[in-house]
Amino acid sequence: MDPILDVKNLNVTFDTYGGKVQAVRGVNFSLKKGETLAIVGESGSGKSVTTKALMGLIKKPAGKIPEGEILFDGKDLAKLDNKQMQKIRGKDLSMIFQDPMTSLNPTMKIGKQIMEGLILHQKLSKQQAKERALELLNLVGIPYPEKRMNQYPHQFSGGMRQRVVIAIALACNPKVLIADEPTTALDVTIQAQIIELMKDIQKKMDTSIIFITHDLGVVANVADRVAVMYAGKIVEIGTVDDVFYNPKHPYTWGLLGSLPTVDSNEEKLMAIPGTPPDLIHPPKGDAFAARNEFALAIDFEEEPPMFKVSDTHSAATWLLHENAPDIEPPATVKKRMAGISVEGERQS
Amino acid sequence: MAKYLIQRIIYMIITLLIIISATFFLMKIMPGSPFNNLGGKITPEQQAFLEEKYGLDEPVPVQYFNYITGVFQGDFGVSFQYENRPVSQMILDRIGPSAELGAQALIIGAILGIILGMIAAIKHNTWLDYSSNIIAVIGISIPSFVFAGLLQYYLAVKWQIFPVSFWESPIHTVLPTIALMIFPMAICARFMRTEMLEVLGSDYIELARAKGVSNNSIMFKHALRNALIPVITVLGPMTVSLMTGTLVIEQIFAVPGIGEQFVTSINTNDYPVIMGTTILFAVLFVVVILIVDLLYGLIDPRIRITGGKE
Repeated sequence: MDPILDVKNLNVTFDTYGGKVQAVRGVNFSLKKGETLAIVGESGSGKSVTTKALMGLIKKPAGKIPEGEILFDGKDLAKLDNKQMQKIRGKDLSMIFQDPMTSLNPTMKIGKQIMEGLILHQKLSKQQAKERALELLNLVGIPYPEKRMNQYPHQFSGGMRQRVVIAIALACNPKVLIADEPTTALDVTIQAQIIELMKDIQKKMDTSIIFITHDLGVVANVADRVAVMYAGKIVEIGTVDDVFYNPKHPYTWGLLGSLPTVDSNEEKLMAIPGTPPDLIHPPKGDAFAARNEFALAIDFEEEPPMFKVSDTHSAATWLLHENAPDIEPPATVKKRMAGISVEGERQS
Repeated sequence: MAKYLIQRIIYMIITLLIIISATFFLMKIMPGSPFNNLGGKITPEQQAFLEEKYGLDEPVPVQYFNYITGVFQGDFGVSFQYENRPVSQMILDRIGPSAELGAQALIIGAILGIILGMIAAIKHNTWLDYSSNIIAVIGISIPSFVFAGLLQYYLAVKWQIFPVSFWESPIHTVLPTIALMIFPMAICARFMRTEMLEVLGSDYIELARAKGVSNNSIMFKHALRNALIPVITVLGPMTVSLMTGTLVIEQIFAVPGIGEQFVTSINTNDYPVIMGTTILFAVLFVVVILIVDLLYGLIDPRIRITGGKE
């Protein structure tokens, strides 16, 4: 099946006083209809910037897309200007933000905030938009929608606000929904509810979802495929099973190893040593080499290409080269992998 | 809402009583008497007679009590200096031009300032931003009488477009209004720019963009209202100081306003006029603060008094 969204060699840079930050450095991925792709990685790895680029929300003039294509619906979104993007944003591509406490306009009624996109993109009358907004509030599970329509954001709890944000994002039946850490700012119990809601909606509407998170537990629960980002690049991509049970990149090992499990109280939590590289001057070779205990000499010299592990799975590490020594993931990581499988079943 | 209003009005009355009392006793501490500036033209006997006539020979607490009862009956006394004219009449005669001038300066200044601030924020870090900044800094740091002088010299004397002074027709109000509006305009522009930049960087504006809302709608439907809240806070007290007469501008343009009268009354110990004018300023101030508080509610639902139950 043809992908609905195809990102090719996407680069995003920001001009700062310190120099040019290369936030995203050649990202490739594609998204199929009805699929959920999770993008994971630590803060500053370029996850959010990648999705902002898809939405055309990179702040100009400091932010630029010097290279790359974002193919969607026969168009290259990277080449469209703001006016043209306005017609696509909120209609075909929409976005859920991280913090529901700040992402709704405090001086505008909830109903109006939902109706705005409908009136704009689907040219509905006020009455039609209102009916559709009521439907949406029902869909995202907000009780008394008639009454809630006329209330302001401060009259909603965090979880309810995130439901409203989801309703806004779903208003025009988008083809692709981008969720930028939609559960990070919420209580754990509410997190589970919101994730259930998103899964439920995806089933009903057959939307493709890009789910950004650094919570690997959430990934196991919602995603079909996972892309692991590090220093502005995708270092490993594959199905959830590929990445969680057969991880190939040492960074993925590090991420999985640092995941606490219910029965992991006997040992110290594994951590990835060091800090991410400075993206104003990205290091030569593999950006992860300095923090990688399995780094080979070539890692400091040359950037690894994407090696194919299987049809669905590839990773950018020299360890996959035919001449590389055979290195097994550390024991704790293996244990973790087993732990996740149990937990994943528990959650689903 | 009604309960809140009644509560606020009771507080207002208490505030006013405190202001009236404080002014009354401060005024009594001032040296001199209303009748000793006549250059020795009156004999001590005449002075004693006058003081008795106006009740100034009584002990201060009694005078205070008499004055407060008078005020509650709407009687602010008569002027000592202007042939027994009632204070209320004197204030009514003078407040008109001051209020008109102040209102014009405030409305035009605020609107221009808000527009200037918005442009600066939208065109952040461009020449438009820098020039609006320069205008604002000039407006804040140069006193209004300097502008008044320049305006009179160029627009009135040299090019003779507007009259130099006096308060006779709308055209006479142009120069004093311009001189007076520069300060509120500059203040509004500064506040508006800062607030607008903050609002434009907020998450909900990003969400509005993600909805596909156009730049213009973002400015006017989403950002403006949120950015206005702090601007209103500074506008409130400024309204009072502008409407109750700005002595310097009134002097320069020969506007028969209340500011000039206030100063004269203090110089001549004209107790009832000082009191009357102070009460007027105080009343205006508390009323404006109440209006500002109600306006907040109108603009920001989070502050709305009757707000819904969670």
